[in-house]
Amino acid sequence: MTMSFSAPLVKIQSLHKSYGPHIQVLKGLDVEMKPGERVVVIGPSGGGKSTLLRVMMGLEKIDSGSISFGGKPYIFSEGADRKTVIDTEVRRSIGMVFQHYTLFPHLSVIQNLILAPCKVRGENKASATKRAQALLERFGLGAKASAYPAQLSGGQKQRVAIARALMLDPKLMLFDEVTSALDPELVAEVEQVILQLAGQDMPMMIVTHDMWFAKNIASRVIFCAGGVVVEDGPPEQVLGSPKEERTREFIDRVFHIRH
Amino acid sequence: MTLDFSIVLRFQEALALGLWMTIKLTLICVVLGCSLGFSIGLARTSRSALLRAASSIYVEFFRGTPVLVQLFWIFFCLPLILGVELSNLTSGVIALTLYMGAISSETFRASLKSIGPEQLDACVALDLPRRVQVTSVILPQAVLRAVPTLLSNCVSLFKESALVSAVGMADLMFVGQNISNNTARPVEVLTVVALIYFVIAFPLTRAVTLVERRVLAKLAI
Ligand SMILES: Nc1ncnc2c1ncn2[C@@H]1O[C@H](COP(=O)(O)OP(=O)(O)OP(=O)(O)O)[C@@H](O)[C@H]1O
Ligand SMILES: [Mg+2]
Repeated sequence: MTMSFSAPLVKIQSLHKSYGPHIQVLKGLDVEMKPGERVVVIGPSGGGKSTLLRVMMGLEKIDSGSISFGGKPYIFSEGADRKTVIDTEVRRSIGMVFQHYTLFPHLSVIQNLILAPCKVRGENKASATKRAQALLERFGLGAKASAYPAQLSGGQKQRVAIARALMLDPKLMLFDEVTSALDPELVAEVEQVILQLAGQDMPMMIVTHDMWFAKNIASRVIFCAGGVVVEDGPPEQVLGSPKEERTREFIDRVFHIRH
Repeated sequence: MTLDFSIVLRFQEALALGLWMTIKLTLICVVLGCSLGFSIGLARTSRSALLRAASSIYVEFFRGTPVLVQLFWIFFCLPLILGVELSNLTSGVIALTLYMGAISSETFRASLKSIGPEQLDACVALDLPRRVQVTSVILPQAVLRAVPTLLSNCVSLFKESALVSAVGMADLMFVGQNISNNTARPVEVLTVVALIYFVIAFPLTRAVTLVERRVLAKLAI
């Protein structure tokens, strides 16, 4: 795979997605993401932000359109019946963290982390455990390796979920409102971990309602509403002085709630 | 009326044999019934409409009829239909296994259903193949969640097994009934029989509560 410097890492082309015959969620969405970019997706509730991330992760079927990663289409629809094709080989480079942690409750923290590397990548247990322990230390969870998810706070659970995703060395991370379910005082510890990753140039796409976080992490912001991209630009523009009326209205509303 | 419980001691051995039969029958049917129940639980959530229909007819039928009737049917009708002699133990095992299979399949079905779809999302996001999803994520959680109710199912089975005395199987109840008839001492003998059932069933019932608390504490996400 040859990739020039400005070639997009992710390219989403006229993506359509509906749930059943009546709920059209994504209506021709186009997004390009360059290597090293951290794209924050904002928009009204029900606008399709989670759906977009779930489609990128290969968790949902699509109606039409395509998504490429590193120049290779890995999700597209094919044939007369528009069957969704997912190239799992490519998808493997993408990791995702969900709003509700989704840790495996019957496994300890360390077992949660090493399950995929051992069972899927064939890594031996000792080396996976060593990597996992190092990651946990880095995220301030060194002492929690043998705890079970039920014994952790929401913030700790979410940091474990991030560490678990990182165990597979993703080349792109998707974060869907990962702090929305947390008590306010636990939000910062999770955001710090993501900012830490940003410092290492991990490409990421983040859905968040937290404007402070959006401003601090984004290299680009996309305002998504009604299933299409309404505005797309640098954070100063989209969050500070949006060009589109709908973006302005949304930003004003969110900021008014926060201040 | 004077009570003389020492009379029961004279029949210690017979009662022990009866108890052994009850326990043997229960254990065999727990193992067979749970395996059957797990398969039926899976079949009831299967994609095949035929499997779903067949398994739910079985479960509803066995849950909707008295165990005593099922037992009599298997003892007296099944041999006629199959044209073969079935030993007492075989018939008892078949009847109670079918009963246990029906009630435990409901337990497994509920525990399978209680695993949220987001667990599967996490599996996909971690690139786990289907085989690993089932063996490392779904099955352990389903079994863990089922354990407390399964234990209750086992206690029910242990108690319901007394019904086999009605078709002449020499279990604890049958032996007790015989002794009480022969000695004309029903109060002493049947009280002791009841106590034996209770002494075994009660700790198990308590264990259910304990296990339940521990399992729930562990699985609460
Ligand atoms: N599995 C589903 N089945 C049917 N409809 C769905 C499903 N998932 C989402 N939807 C609908 O699709 C629309 C977009 O949902 P989505 O979760 O992508 O929005 P969102 O932008 O993430 O919203 P929020 O900010 O509230 O998380 C909503 O109207 C939602 O009700
Ligand atoms: Mg959402």
